[in-house]
Amino acid sequence: MEVSRLPVSASTRGKLISAGYTSFSSLSNFSPSELAIAVKIPEKEADEILKLATHDGKSDNTKGTQAVVSGGQTAWDMLKEDEGLRCITTSCAALDKILGGGINCKEVTEIGGVPGIGKTQLGIQLAINVQIPHEHGGLAAKAIYIDTEGSFMVERVLQIAAACLSEYYELPRRGSNANQPNRQPQDLLENIYYFRVCSYTEQIAAINYLGKFIKEHKEVKIVIVDSITFHFRQDFENMALRTRLLSELALKLMKVANEFKLAVVLLNQVTTKYSEGSVHLTLALGDSWSHASTNRIILHWNANERYAYIDKSPTLQSSSAPYAVTGKGIRDSVSDHKRAKLM
Amino acid sequence: MAPLKSLEPDYPIIDSNFQQFCASHHIFSVEDFLLHDIYALELSTKQHFDSKRLEEGISVVRTIMEGLHQPWLNGMELLQKAQGNKHGISTGYERIDVLLEGGLFQGNLVELVGPSSSGKTQLCLKVAANVAVNNLGSVTFFDTGNSFSPKRIDKLLDQSSEPAKIKTEEVRRRVMDKIVCQSVFDIYVLFDLLHQLKSTLKPVTGSSVQMLIVDSISSLVTPILGSGAHGHALMVSLGFLLKELAYEHNLSVLVTNHMVGAEGGHLKPALGESWKNVPDMRLHVSRDCKSNICSMSILRHPYITAGKAVMFSLK
Repeated sequence: MEVSRLPVSASTRGKLISAGYTSFSSLSNFSPSELAIAVKIPEKEADEILKLATHDGKSDNTKGTQAVVSGGQTAWDMLKEDEGLRCITTSCAALDKILGGGINCKEVTEIGGVPGIGKTQLGIQLAINVQIPHEHGGLAAKAIYIDTEGSFMVERVLQIAAACLSEYYELPRRGSNANQPNRQPQDLLENIYYFRVCSYTEQIAAINYLGKFIKEHKEVKIVIVDSITFHFRQDFENMALRTRLLSELALKLMKVANEFKLAVVLLNQVTTKYSEGSVHLTLALGDSWSHASTNRIILHWNANERYAYIDKSPTLQSSSAPYAVTGKGIRDSVSDHKRAKLM
Repeated sequence: MAPLKSLEPDYPIIDSNFQQFCASHHIFSVEDFLLHDIYALELSTKQHFDSKRLEEGISVVRTIMEGLHQPWLNGMELLQKAQGNKHGISTGYERIDVLLEGGLFQGNLVELVGPSSSGKTQLCLKVAANVAVNNLGSVTFFDTGNSFSPKRIDKLLDQSSEPAKIKTEEVRRRVMDKIVCQSVFDIYVLFDLLHQLKSTLKPVTGSSVQMLIVDSISSLVTPILGSGAHGHALMVSLGFLLKELAYEHNLSVLVTNHMVGAEGGHLKPALGESWKNVPDMRLHVSRDCKSNICSMSILRHPYITAGKAVMFSLK
């Protein structure tokens, strides 16, 4: 029945079907007021239904030109478009290398790891690095940080911002004019939009609101959610509802990433999984959530060093790279020899 | 079906008299006609003074109904139709082509099921690249997870059988123009697109194929499944729409699905028992941890034994 695929409420749909209107052609000859009387629904709803039905009828009649479906792009056009997109560096050369340059725009990247491995640090580093100006290969854009755990420490962000500024001011800039005023770390903080959510409904609301917010603030090029798991892990009675809400969340984030061509970074926690007698760590939120991201990076310890491992990616090979969390933020890890001496 | 009164302009015999007669038998739409006993209805017209007109009206409704069902086919016609689709579409992996006795065929809905990061998207991209580079036809790719990567398609074209042929940019552009990708994040949008496809598809000329890939269908269906029966109905009607597109318009349709936990710690395909019987072929893909070797086994196939498996490697 064609009417069953209209995005209307169940009761309206039931009324339409019991009145005998099951296809779009049967709705075509009616005006909103006639339909409202025949089906006993408010006129505004009848108007909406007719708009949806006739829009579908119109698109049925258009002749396909180059693309068979409207809104589709050929692979060639997409390739050319993607060549112009830049990556967001993580400030760690080894990590950037395995990521193919950094965190890609238009993709949802999930980063998970045990507590204390540096997820929030990486999130903060990315929020600062997205603001690197064009001359140094950055995007000169703003960031949105959705904090669910309360681990966003402003003093630490200031510290990382100061380190980032000092590094980039040391490099000689091509074509720079000496009269440019020095940027303060506080200026970098101004470009991070911070949302604090305290329950899963607030989290869903914040993500629903993202589309509207980004339309008004087009300079945003990264959305970081730290962490996406927190409110969904404790005390969720209905697992089926949780799966539905999470899949819907995932689709919305994918849509935002695609529509506004920005990067979405989701930080996740780990849980233990018991399979075939052995116990190992996997990312939280279950098997169905593992399909919610385009890329997945797992952070883990390996003999006193922090490693990042690419678990899932459509373009990148599975590989791992070491990194370190320093006073300045995320940086390359120094060799073992040196680390042993410092310890 | 519309209520009877909307048929009046096209078929003047279904006038208000006829409608009143039907209403007296609780018949308000053509569907109600199907549920009613037509013989009994015809007998009851004899008692009316206007019986001839009413009988005409009933036969007109009958012809409307007969115009709406699928034509009957006999076994020979079915066999001829199947033999017309003899050539399989190569997937780009020789071992998989051998396993499937030719590759993917037109008129079929094939489902790839597997845990996360098992190689399903890579397989879809490879099939698309193969169809494009060997000039077999065109590909429509519906992507729900931003995982369609034109860069990867570019690399796969380099790995194809004759890389020298596609060195020039002009040729490469023509090859990549055969793959059209559309991002879909909503099941209702997918329905609209599929209906658009149905009405705009021109009949295939000669040996040109049309492929439709949906990666992944489970991420569109999971948000609506479970909250009442409507989600279930939408999922099944989506499945039937894809099968209709495959069978009637001679497309080859490939969809991907993910896996969820079952009792005993095993994994089972998502979307439940009702979806299990919808695809014509179900293939299970899995990857050995941290290596490029994947294995594919047949879960369901019309004529090949289930359980047959093969290993292949992703480059």
